Amino acid sequence: MPQILPDFSNSVKLKYVKLGYQYLVNHILYLLLVPIMVAILIEVLRLGPYEILNLWKSLHFDLVQILCSSFLIIFIATVYFMSKPRHVYLVDYACYKPPVTCRVPFATFMEHSRLILKNNPKSVEFQMRILERSGLGEETCLPPAIHYIPPTPTMEAARGEAELVIFSAMDSLLQKTGLKPKDIDILIVNCSLFSPTPSLSAMLINQYKLRSNIKSFNLSGMGCSAGLISIDLARDLLQVHPNSNAVVVSTEIITPNYYQGNERAMLLPNCLFRMGGAAILLSNRRRNRSRAKYRLVHVVRTHKGADDKAYRCVFEEEDKEGKVGISLSKDLMAIAGEALKSNITTIGPLVLPASEQLLFLMTLIGRKIFNPKWKPYIPDFKQAFEHFCIHAGGRAVIDELQKNLQLSAEHVEASRMTLHRFGNTSSSSLWYEMSYIEEKGRMKKGDRVWQIAFGSGFKCNSAVWKCNKTIKTTTDNPWSDCIDRYPVHIPEIVKL
Amino acid sequence: MITYICKRTVVSTKPAQAGKCNPLSVFDRLMEKNHIRIVYYFPSTRNGEPGVVTKKLRESLSHVLTCFPIVTGRLQKKDDGHWMIKCNDAGVRMVEARTQGSVEEWLKNVNRDKELMLVTWEDMFHKPYFWATFYVQLTEFEEGGLAIGFSCSHLLADPTSATMFVKAWADTTLAGTMLAPPFFHPLPPPRLGNKNPNHNPYTDLINHYKSTIDDRSPAFTNNITNYVTATLAFSGPMVQACMLDTSRPSPFEAMAGLLWVCVSKVKGMKQGLISMSICLDMRKQLGLDKGFFGNCLVYNKVHHAESLLDKSELSEAARAVGESVTKMNNERIMDLIEWLEHHDYEFPPLMNGHDLICANLEDLDPYATLFEEGFVPIRVSYYVEPVFGIGQILVLQSPPSEGPLSRMVMVTLPADELSKLCDDDLILRFNPTILMG
Repeated sequence: MPQILPDFSNSVKLKYVKLGYQYLVNHILYLLLVPIMVAILIEVLRLGPYEILNLWKSLHFDLVQILCSSFLIIFIATVYFMSKPRHVYLVDYACYKPPVTCRVPFATFMEHSRLILKNNPKSVEFQMRILERSGLGEETCLPPAIHYIPPTPTMEAARGEAELVIFSAMDSLLQKTGLKPKDIDILIVNCSLFSPTPSLSAMLINQYKLRSNIKSFNLSGMGCSAGLISIDLARDLLQVHPNSNAVVVSTEIITPNYYQGNERAMLLPNCLFRMGGAAILLSNRRRNRSRAKYRLVHVVRTHKGADDKAYRCVFEEEDKEGKVGISLSKDLMAIAGEALKSNITTIGPLVLPASEQLLFLMTLIGRKIFNPKWKPYIPDFKQAFEHFCIHAGGRAVIDELQKNLQLSAEHVEASRMTLHRFGNTSSSSLWYEMSYIEEKGRMKKGDRVWQIAFGSGFKCNSAVWKCNKTIKTTTDNPWSDCIDRYPVHIPEIVKL
Repeated sequence: MITYICKRTVVSTKPAQAGKCNPLSVFDRLMEKNHIRIVYYFPSTRNGEPGVVTKKLRESLSHVLTCFPIVTGRLQKKDDGHWMIKCNDAGVRMVEARTQGSVEEWLKNVNRDKELMLVTWEDMFHKPYFWATFYVQLTEFEEGGLAIGFSCSHLLADPTSATMFVKAWADTTLAGTMLAPPFFHPLPPPRLGNKNPNHNPYTDLINHYKSTIDDRSPAFTNNITNYVTATLAFSGPMVQACMLDTSRPSPFEAMAGLLWVCVSKVKGMKQGLISMSICLDMRKQLGLDKGFFGNCLVYNKVHHAESLLDKSELSEAARAVGESVTKMNNERIMDLIEWLEHHDYEFPPLMNGHDLICANLEDLDPYATLFEEGFVPIRVSYYVEPVFGIGQILVLQSPPSEGPLSRMVMVTLPADELSKLCDDDLILRFNPTILMG
């Protein structure tokens, strides 16, 4: 017992020292300002009112000088306000909830796998091992075409899935926000693997009878991080077009991409990717300011495609039998770690408080000049953000990021639970995670959220949102019927 | 003919409780070699669009499966070598098909082979853990009507349970709730204590089971006989006349006696009757709820007195059936259960493989299965497969429009014998309508 106490008291002392240091550095300007103000006040009091009046009279201002200086002030103020970037608000978003009849329990997935790959028991074994450790639950959903024995991934079925997912999400969004289809000025749809002609954005315009002068974009091939790329594009467009609404639809259509061969590296996506989609309404209109949920603060995009290994780590190609699938390389995690480091290096100075930045700078200088053996300081991002939404790409991704950023289990809870309930829904998973945090009642006004997504290429994109108003729990969201069961404990290996 | 559209797996709407296992009872385990097939014929509904009805039924099937985790589970062997069901949520297989014509046309010229095409079935895989035990086929008739083919392994359900499941499905489609929820419990346990030390177990029933289990005769390994099934409908007054002739109070006993005598004749028995076993549902005798899900059919050999005059052979046959029925009471069945618990067998027997089997399926009430308000099934056919040995007689209920006493009898015999049966004088005396065969 006596041995433990001194350590405890030491760590408590350390904690207070740390807190004190952070408070000091983060509020240094205020702390410097206070003594200066006090000094001026004392000086003023000492001089007395009569003296001050004399001082004022001694300054000779003539009319021209006053006019010029006031024009200068007005001019500078105008330039400042004009060049300030418009605030982009996230009014609301809607996530697609797949029908219960599309549910795929583990046992059904494995049986179908066996029936389809009956000549390759090793591949079936491999899929089973992946599924056991995947972190998925028994309620994830696959589109109807994949439920058939054998699956029938026709173009018609793919369009059917796209219509089902996108139109449901859009209907939900229009109902939640009260937006009229005619008021949509910008439309961006991102779906990486399915790109028909006419595009999915044209499909939306046709269904909802959107305006003829709408600015529509369809992003394909950009992987799971395309959601944040679309948000970035929407933000840039909203800088150029004042008083506009932008709708972003993020989804991934599973039907055409179900790999039917038996190459192991390509079977992995079959086990993890599931049906899902989200529709988001962004706006720069002043009247949406009060009812918007979030304000977009930063978007940081990092692309490691210049490196060959990173470029090839998620690669769509044909296997030996000519069947097309997405092959994931073995050093995916390492490359993801590198991309994350790159991204953090850019986003760090934008979001971290001065205390963390100072510490990082000192350690950096110290390592360069004094002793390279010093441990590199990992900035504590928990001080910059209240909530983290890590793309639910797989259990390994979440584990890796939790370790790298030193996050607690509660910080990554949204990501893990989304992976469990919905699987890897690609670009829309970030929105399911946001919805989870909101439905748990944890989103308060002023909270900052960090969304991190990884994607083929290899890309690491981040978005930082600031919560505009405390969000109340609702019933029209994909978590409404199961939020009370979460969080669940997800075992390391689920015995099948 | 029949165009198969697709095959898929239907799962329940809520995940099953993980790790739950249900052992199979002694009656269940005996039925490993058999499977049941049921066909329901429904008239045309208002919804003309092809595929709409199928979609609705598929969704309601998902909802009802949530209450039947045994149906979506898979077979696995326990440590002691006996079967159990692991409730792993794997689901039931569903096949969707389409055929030309209307239901009424189909029923006019249907036969056993055609009818069996409306029910999909797959024999047990080498690895039973990946083998679906329940199959559903929905066949839409292009000019109106629907056929629902339902098949399942006899290990998990008997015709009573199977009918109950389909009724629960219909109730869920119609009203969203089941009127009679299922009852998953083991058979009543053997009585402990206060056992009469001089109590002699009912040897006849046990002996019948013993001989069936020990029977390794080649009769059921050799299946080149071409069996054909005929459906004979006996109207209410005719059944009543038969009951009067045989002076039996129960329609089943009268019908069983009648069929026994006629089948013996066509088999070429000049004197006496061929060996027959009856198969009855013992839920009431065991004090089990009607919703008991599992096997509760017991087989008993019928003993008859030999060498009688031709005229009263019918009454004697019916009397013998009646005696057999009475002998199957609670005490004797409990003795049988106890005997079965203590007697392991290496190879599962074929309970319907030797004698002529006459099963009483009168109380199943399949015509109460309504998927849509007012659309009563036109016909419901039952098959207990595979048929070996002498043959099989199933005594079923008739559609309610025919009256409460009318009966439908499905007789499965080798082809030549069946045609002789349909021309037999004694049968024709009761004027049956030949619906199929």
